[in-house]
Amino acid sequence: MRAADAAYAIGPAAPRESYLNAARIIEVARRSGATAIHPGYGFLSENADFAQAVAEAGLVFVGPPAAVQRLLGEKTAARRLARVAEVPVAEGTEPLTDVAAARVAAANIGYPVLLKPAGGGGGKGMRMVRKEDELETAWRAATGEATTAFGQPALYIERAIWNARHIEMQILADNTGNVVWLGERDCSVQRRHQKLIEETPGPSVGDGLRQELGAAAVRIARAAKYENAGTVEFLVGGDRHFYFLEVNTRLQVEHPITEMVTGLDLVALQLRIAGGEPLPFAQADVVRSGAAIECRITAEDPRAGFLPASGVIALVREPAGPGVRVDSALYAGMTVPTEYDPLLAKVIAYGRDRIEAIARMRRALEEMRVSGVPTSLAFHRSALFHQDFVTGPTSLAFHRSALFHQDFVTGRYDTGFIEHWDARIAPELSAGATSAAALAAVLATRARGERHTLPPADAPWARAAREDALR
Amino acid sequence: MRYEVTLDDRRVRVELGDHGRFTVDDRAVAASVRETVRGRQWSITLAGESHEITVVTHDPLRLDVDGNDVRATVIDERALRANRGAAGTRTGRIELRAPMPGLLKAVHVKEGDHVVADAPLATLEAMKMENELLAPSAGRIAKVRATAGAKVEAGAVLIVIASE
Repeated sequence: MRAADAAYAIGPAAPRESYLNAARIIEVARRSGATAIHPGYGFLSENADFAQAVAEAGLVFVGPPAAVQRLLGEKTAARRLARVAEVPVAEGTEPLTDVAAARVAAANIGYPVLLKPAGGGGGKGMRMVRKEDELETAWRAATGEATTAFGQPALYIERAIWNARHIEMQILADNTGNVVWLGERDCSVQRRHQKLIEETPGPSVGDGLRQELGAAAVRIARAAKYENAGTVEFLVGGDRHFYFLEVNTRLQVEHPITEMVTGLDLVALQLRIAGGEPLPFAQADVVRSGAAIECRITAEDPRAGFLPASGVIALVREPAGPGVRVDSALYAGMTVPTEYDPLLAKVIAYGRDRIEAIARMRRALEEMRVSGVPTSLAFHRSALFHQDFVTGPTSLAFHRSALFHQDFVTGRYDTGFIEHWDARIAPELSAGATSAAALAAVLATRARGERHTLPPADAPWARAAREDALR
Repeated sequence: MRYEVTLDDRRVRVELGDHGRFTVDDRAVAASVRETVRGRQWSITLAGESHEITVVTHDPLRLDVDGNDVRATVIDERALRANRGAAGTRTGRIELRAPMPGLLKAVHVKEGDHVVADAPLATLEAMKMENELLAPSAGRIAKVRATAGAKVEAGAVLIVIASE
């Protein structure tokens, strides 16, 4: 709201009454005099009914039209479309009626399998099932999550690809039939199928694979009569074979890294396309240079299994400097709400090559401070800092490969990165830092104690008495 | 006043004396201490080296030490004495607490059930995700303190397990 020229309330915090309330949003848009609605990247951004309602209200929906969303939004229909466009898809089923049908299908395909909601993507409601006795719990959780996220419980099963990288291709299409691809993003570093680090170019993607993925994405876009910005997601196996996953019919959270390497403003282009303008450039004009990385700083505790946390932000210090961009809504005094995604800030670093981007990201993560809730910063720092790479990437790769199976800095990682990441690794503090930290710990505890009404000496006894009473 | 501090798996004894003097592991330390954000952040210079310590959360105590994430505990001498007296009285009862505020979608167990470690006990919906809360250890369900459909606060005791 601090950056807005004007702001209008759309209702209470509960998403169903505000961000998921299409009628309310359209009514507010009309009242404000707006002529178009940009749906962002959550909530109703991939909801065909919303896109249709916006159009019927005489407003412009900034994104693909309802018919395209409907076609690609039903994930099993999108898989059929990909097959027609001669793009490989992983073995999988149509929507399943119940857990018994899922058991039969999973046995046919062979474990491990993925349970995925047919109604929408983005990892919500998706569950990896390693063996049969996990199926029922996973089915129950995924059904509930799919219902909450997409308003429908339907699930389907897909074969899980091992040692896979999650590579996605950014596309742009105007309404005169021009389609271009802008380059890939490697989004393999995920937990619970939600991305934590993204980068472009993908360290495992050569020119040949890039051209193939770009061409495949354009074929799917043409087959779907796509318009506006979109992302075609693929899994690339250890053998470099790729499989179509889904199309995200919206802007992605990680779009800034593509903006950094192409110099394009994707949101501005979305608005131009929505306004009926043709793309101002052709495929041959798209030039990528350098490398960019995004770290999603979330209100989650990496040392407690990435459990989401809520609380009040007490202090924020955001990084800056050459090649560093921060897209954030953080401010001191802000309450981290439990109703929405735990995303707090996006830190983006650009460099002439991957090494420079990593160096800048390291500096940015070191500069950043957030107090009030545990954040993913500890994870991001350890992922980018594992080792001193001053000696150069070649020798680094040599040392690291001997020690670690998965590593971000060398680019050797796949979607199993976080499972291999050891949260128990405690930082090594110097003697001076240890003394300073111990002293600060005492000062912090005393500072807090002074604000309490109960004298500290009574607290253990009061607690013991309460526990006795509860027993 | 003397304190026993843990920083992850390291133990450090700290004593605060008069006039801002203090010792770490019984050795007097010369430091200049500046509170840069009240009750939240300190800049501490030791032997010519400056360190910045930020409190990430107070309860449990979590520190950012020069960009490193550190879990800390602080016990003063009075609490130490009190704790020694009480040690051992609460073994055998393990509480499953809500790790975050949210909506309790389902409770999968009832009192008297026997569970194995990591068995799903309840489903908590928070931040648009359903989180399966797993049994921290094997045992018998001694108490179910929450019902499906209830909104729960962070830290609320949901289920008590008696270990066997």
